[in-house]
Amino acid sequence: MPKDAAALLALLDLERIDDNLFRGAQEPSALPRVFGGQVAAQALVAGTRTVDPAYGVHSLHSYFLQPGDPGAPIVYDVETLRDGRSFATRRVLARQHGRPIFALTANFQVSEEGWEHHDVMPEVTSPEKSLDPRQVLAQMYPDRDTSADSEWDVADLRYVGSSGDGLLAEDPEHPGLQRCWLRVSSRLPDDPFLHVAAFTYLSDMTLMGSALAPHGARPEDGTHMVASLDHAIWFHRPFRADEWWLYDQTSPFAGGGRGLVTAGVFTEGGTLVATVAQEALLRKFDPSRARA
Amino acid sequence: MSDVAELVRLLDLEQIEPDLFRGAQPDSARARVYGGQVAAQALVAGIRTVDPAYAVHSLHSYFLRGGDYSVPIVYDVERIRDGRAFQTRRVVARQHGRPIYYQTLDFQRPEEGYEHQDAMPAVGTPEQGFDLVELMRSGGNTEADALGKEWSALDVRYLGNTRTGLPAHHRYQAQAQMWVRIREELPPDPVVHLAAFTYASDVSLLGASLAAHDASPSHTQMASLDHTIWFHRPFRADEWWLYDQWSPSASGARGLSLGRVFLTDGTLVATLAQEGLIRPRPNAG
Repeated sequence: MPKDAAALLALLDLERIDDNLFRGAQEPSALPRVFGGQVAAQALVAGTRTVDPAYGVHSLHSYFLQPGDPGAPIVYDVETLRDGRSFATRRVLARQHGRPIFALTANFQVSEEGWEHHDVMPEVTSPEKSLDPRQVLAQMYPDRDTSADSEWDVADLRYVGSSGDGLLAEDPEHPGLQRCWLRVSSRLPDDPFLHVAAFTYLSDMTLMGSALAPHGARPEDGTHMVASLDHAIWFHRPFRADEWWLYDQTSPFAGGGRGLVTAGVFTEGGTLVATVAQEALLRKFDPSRARA
Repeated sequence: MSDVAELVRLLDLEQIEPDLFRGAQPDSARARVYGGQVAAQALVAGIRTVDPAYAVHSLHSYFLRGGDYSVPIVYDVERIRDGRAFQTRRVVARQHGRPIYYQTLDFQRPEEGYEHQDAMPAVGTPEQGFDLVELMRSGGNTEADALGKEWSALDVRYLGNTRTGLPAHHRYQAQAQMWVRIREELPPDPVVHLAAFTYASDVSLLGASLAAHDASPSHTQMASLDHTIWFHRPFRADEWWLYDQWSPSASGARGLSLGRVFLTDGTLVATLAQEGLIRPRPNAG
């Protein structure tokens, strides 16, 4: 995993093989499969490279198909679905070992103006007064294996709380809530797209905590298999990924072995800059039936 | 044929060969094919290529070009994944040799797990709602008659939005709520209910993003850009469901709307998302 912003940028800087065909490198990692945020961000970079820079990305929809192999590069194959006057659309298929592992569609728009509104940010503690997540987990799970924690050093994370740990006020309408502050831990260049790509990388972190919160469980508790099924982002307004943003997560539903999370992304000033949705597989390990 | 029988016919595709289907068109007075029809026909095409032991749990889609009512729509299905627990399909809707719509859908072999859901908001009854097409007509929407004809299988009772009828929310600037059902009983096949619901789900969702603004639909160019559904639990599309919508953001001539679908007993059965173009028309009054 990339240690800092420079390593993250290197990971997101793809090698061009041919028109519409790119290759993404890997960083050494102890994870058994490629982090979903990496595949999503690399695929977004691949798609964006094939679009006239006058068009900015405003949404992406994606499905995770197979676990990615951290030992092999990932090939990104871009298909043009539309090159319109106002909108351009790309589909990116990520492949390894001859098989698709991830499929993303992204939409790009020539900048225009219109009506403006956005949700109000919830009242939360500031990043400075929020909690160090590694300390929180150390208290919850004293025996947890922390050897790979430093792999995530590119992300600066401050934990606000969830509806399952008493740190957030209970909301009878929304049983599954979790909030945290996130930013890239070191400075990024000013190019706005690098912030979009870095945010996409980080956006796959922490989401399923809100889906497990009502069940007294956490993704880190070691008793669950949690795997992202899909991932969607709507980019509303430009923002810096290396300055604090609040990840305000709600899980409207869990059932059938799945959990859905929708999340608002707010700057510290309270502006909603993105909305994220993800469904994931949430399986409790059955000790009597160990499975790969 | 009744309006509902006509809808059921519309959602029953002709198979041309394996993984290739053709969808009929309704008798419509509108210029562009209604997005819910394309989404529902694509869903049916995808379902037809998957072992019925797997149930669809989500679809993500983009609208690429306006559909043409004068010719049928071809649905071309690609098998992206045939896994043990999950199967994935990509459906491209084509007309005149060009893609007009692109949908990816995911299927899962049923399993058990944690269960929770958002609580249903307190709302009025369907009888307290206003007929949506009548509201459009009285609001001066010039498309109301054509939409009323096209959506004649749908019973939509509008409860209100942020500017009319709904109380202010402490976080949401733009909300809308309505009850919806298919007007007459549908056949028992669950696929028909999924498809009919998908058909109906494109009605009004984008409108929630205008609920915070003094923007009449007649003075706004509106077009769905994407459409996403997470199907949580099976349900009947011909019994009342609450379509609870809010728009977290509008910017850049786009509006994003999210929707939650509850049954009368409070069960959450689906969550939706749609982004659309909401472009103020030049010289609008």
